[in-house]
Amino acid sequence: MQLDFTARELTIKLVYYGPALSGKTTNLQALHEASVPEATGRLMTLETRDDRTLFFDLLPLTFSSAKGLSVRLKVFTVPGQVIHSSTRRLVLQGADGVAFIADSREGETEHNAESYRDLRENLKQNGLTTKQLPLVLQFNKRDMPNVRTEAELADMAAQGREPVYLATATKGLGVVETFVGLLHLTWQTLDVKHGFIEKFGFDTSAFFADVLGKLNHPASLTDVLNIRVGGYGARREVMP
Amino acid sequence: MKSTPSPRSLDELTLDTRFSIQELISRESFEDLLGSLRQLFGVSLRVFAKGGALFAESGPGSPLQTYLGSLPGGRRAVRETVETVKSAEPEAKGAIRLSCATGERYAVIALQYDGRSLGRTVIGPYLDLQDGACPEGLSKCDPLLVPDRLNEAWSAIPKCSESSIARLVEHLKCVLDLILFSGHRALLASNMHLASVQESYRELSEKSATLQNAYERLKELDRLKSNFLATVSHELRTPLTSIIGYSEMLVAGIAGDLNEEQRDFIATIHEKGEQLLELIKGLLDLTKLESGTLNLHKLDIPVLPILKDIVHTLTPTARNKGVILSATGDAGIPTLWGDAARLRQVFLNLTENAIKFTPSAGHVTLSAQITHVALASDEDEGPAIVLRGVKRPMIEVRVADSGIGIPEGERARVFDAFYQVDSSSTREQGGTGLGLSIVKRLVDAHDGTVHIEENSPRGAVFVVRIPCKRLSFMG
Repeated sequence: MQLDFTARELTIKLVYYGPALSGKTTNLQALHEASVPEATGRLMTLETRDDRTLFFDLLPLTFSSAKGLSVRLKVFTVPGQVIHSSTRRLVLQGADGVAFIADSREGETEHNAESYRDLRENLKQNGLTTKQLPLVLQFNKRDMPNVRTEAELADMAAQGREPVYLATATKGLGVVETFVGLLHLTWQTLDVKHGFIEKFGFDTSAFFADVLGKLNHPASLTDVLNIRVGGYGARREVMP
Repeated sequence: MKSTPSPRSLDELTLDTRFSIQELISRESFEDLLGSLRQLFGVSLRVFAKGGALFAESGPGSPLQTYLGSLPGGRRAVRETVETVKSAEPEAKGAIRLSCATGERYAVIALQYDGRSLGRTVIGPYLDLQDGACPEGLSKCDPLLVPDRLNEAWSAIPKCSESSIARLVEHLKCVLDLILFSGHRALLASNMHLASVQESYRELSEKSATLQNAYERLKELDRLKSNFLATVSHELRTPLTSIIGYSEMLVAGIAGDLNEEQRDFIATIHEKGEQLLELIKGLLDLTKLESGTLNLHKLDIPVLPILKDIVHTLTPTARNKGVILSATGDAGIPTLWGDAARLRQVFLNLTENAIKFTPSAGHVTLSAQITHVALASDEDEGPAIVLRGVKRPMIEVRVADSGIGIPEGERARVFDAFYQVDSSSTREQGGTGLGLSIVKRLVDAHDGTVHIEENSPRGAVFVVRIPCKRLSFMG
């Protein structure tokens, strides 16, 4: 996070983590697609020849609150393949929040777990833990055959503290919800730490109204957040 | 401010995005682009970096401005416009249109990337298609002004419709955005390459340090093991000497007469005691060789007498096994440079070993000859190899047997301490596995080599090479 008092500008870094081919880039593409042109710049991808992410993808988004504070969001993905561990660590540095994109298919469970262990290890190397960092989980590829059932995921999510979202990123389903869920959790965590709301008279509801408006998402913040499965204990009540 | 430039962090390059235009765009190539736009639209373009410095231009400035600039009154007339053009801060969208006192027009557009200003682009001067002749007041701005030259410069101003200028502005914004995006992307990619390499290097350095520590610790443990062996061997020897001494006295009847059976038992105690003593001596030798504390008394010594003495010593053992033992060698072969007692131990160990692994009616042959061995390049003692000559005279002793032989893969390992090719508890042949290890270390201490070859039709040949003379530049 970076705060520029004079320009009244706050920059937040969000990272989409997860195993190879779980749909991190697709999430960013769908998010880019959903947002209005004035809120976003070009989606930057640094990829290899075979369309796999080499270093990261970067989506810049800019929103604002009623009091004229502009919030610049930099949304990153990491390269999922195991060998790019040092790159993942670099991209993860200074992240304010992480969305973990998991593959819902039964056969991918071990890859998800392995990638999560990698996330924990890389956070540790950066001096952080998964407990300190705002984290949301997304089970992507819900439209694929042999996916873990919603009941099973809901049951397991209820035991954990992280909010879980279900998504089909290729169709844009659940993408905005995951993003807004992550942004909201990150926002609350940063506010507890830095007291933005008090210091700047920042208007949270106006800000999220702007976010949802610029992402062409007609639902209210409460509705969007309530789509999550589990993670109810992780967060305070949604602010009015 | 940092005094030395270092690669910018990923956060600086993505969160901050406070770039200078110079970082993202190559000036020369950019001027080519501006030049081609000028050809296409007929108007000049200039790009100013943030702070106002000229970054790139499409070509020489306006002839009218140049001419007026050469006259004091002319300079006064255009000063205000120049100031306005320089200080105009256009919004991200659209362009500012400015009209000069000279009648010339300008369009100024913001140069932005990721919501941050990088500078401005100034299009012009140009005249609209409806613009007429030069304003009258302009010809009176300076007494030295030549009207013909003014008119000539005026007519050189490109004429361009406002709609073409609007198209140019849109086109330029689009092109600039793409160029800046590509520049940012390239900057990020190259910084990521660098950062990834640094990160991987850091990771490998850490691993390497861990391995180095483990290696140091193992070396220390190895040293402790050698010390332990030396101490234990020494402590074992003292009581053993008493056991051997007293058993000798008993056999000699000092403590009274013994019957046949008692004598046999005590002879066995004595014999086994001696065997144990040999083993302990071997261990002591090994530890001394490992720690480098064994002193060699090197002299020029003839090799054949040593081999003949060994044959003499071991003939009874060989005969007991039904093995034929012999030594051959050219009487005229040169002496070698070494410690006679230790070399005797080397050849004795090898010959004993050969007899042990050779079945009845087999042969064990010792032979000595001179050979010239090419120097390995890493054997770099003293001045250049070329000054010493490439070949080095060595005495080669071959101990050949017709025994069970040693498989190719085992040949290097048999010289490790305690190693046995057949390490099963039911193996036919006894032994501690120390003999060959001592051989290897003694040969090394003589600056020589030992290796194993295959014997035909069966068996193994141990080849020991010891230098004839000290290896030195003096020869």
